[in-house]
Amino acid sequence: MKGVERRAFKQAVFAVREQEAALDIVQDAMLRLAEKYGDRPGAELPLLFHRIMQNAIRDWFRRQKVRSLWTTLLSSLAPGRDDDEQDPLETIEAAAGSNPEGTPAEQLEKAQVLEIIEQEVSRLPERQREAFVMRYWEELDVAETARRMRCSEGSVKTHCSRATHALAAALRARGITL
Amino acid sequence: MNEHQQHQFGNRVRHILNSGSLAPQLERRLQAARELALSRQRPERAPALAWADNLLGRSGGWTTGVVYTVLSLALLAGSAAGIYNWQLSQRIAELEEIDAQLLTDDLPIDAYLDRGFQNWLKKRTAEQ
Repeated sequence: MKGVERRAFKQAVFAVREQEAALDIVQDAMLRLAEKYGDRPGAELPLLFHRIMQNAIRDWFRRQKVRSLWTTLLSSLAPGRDDDEQDPLETIEAAAGSNPEGTPAEQLEKAQVLEIIEQEVSRLPERQREAFVMRYWEELDVAETARRMRCSEGSVKTHCSRATHALAAALRARGITL
Repeated sequence: MNEHQQHQFGNRVRHILNSGSLAPQLERRLQAARELALSRQRPERAPALAWADNLLGRSGGWTTGVVYTVLSLALLAGSAAGIYNWQLSQRIAELEEIDAQLLTDDLPIDAYLDRGFQNWLKKRTAEQ
């Protein structure tokens, strides 16, 4: 469960690019799953949780659309603002003991690589990112991925292929080859 | 990049993504959210309902779905028969009313102007 919630949180961050919003989405999704579907068989829960998360992310974007109309109007009146995104390095730490013999420089490099990968995954088109994350991070098979994404298995393979190529190219452009 | 290479690339990305961890405050908040969700988990179905489901499941090999289908069809057939009988009795009552009015000369004058009624009277007379 702990691994699931951590992945769910990171996936929400990829989608909405705001840590607090991602946390709210995951918290709400867990509550909704437990309150409404807590009596369902265990095998159904991962798919239900995924659907609840996707709906919550979609709702968040809908609310943002409305909110952005007002902020656009108000920001035109305010002086220049700093719109830098929150630096993930402030929240993501290298796992303790992941490289006990690594020097601080090596650990810093690993953290930077992680940050870059997360940024580039976040920049993938939504469907490609969903397919890539489910296939390679959650290690679901093609059939289960297709079920969750509500598309054909062929579409899953296409999305994965495009995502992989796009991600590899983006990482190469930033000096990273895996 | 062929499929095998895609898998290798995906595996490497997964390894790196899993190597990172969240800040302690985030871990704590997620843990608190998980505990809250578990405390509000919907309870399992009531024992009485589970017992009924078990009974239907065990009774002579009939599945719950078959029993429900049969009951629904029986209800539908019964309702259709009931409606048919009611309509029949309504029609009979109407005919009795017309006959009574004919015998007592209480039939409204407009009825005699109705061609359909005239034809019906002729037909009835011929039958008798």
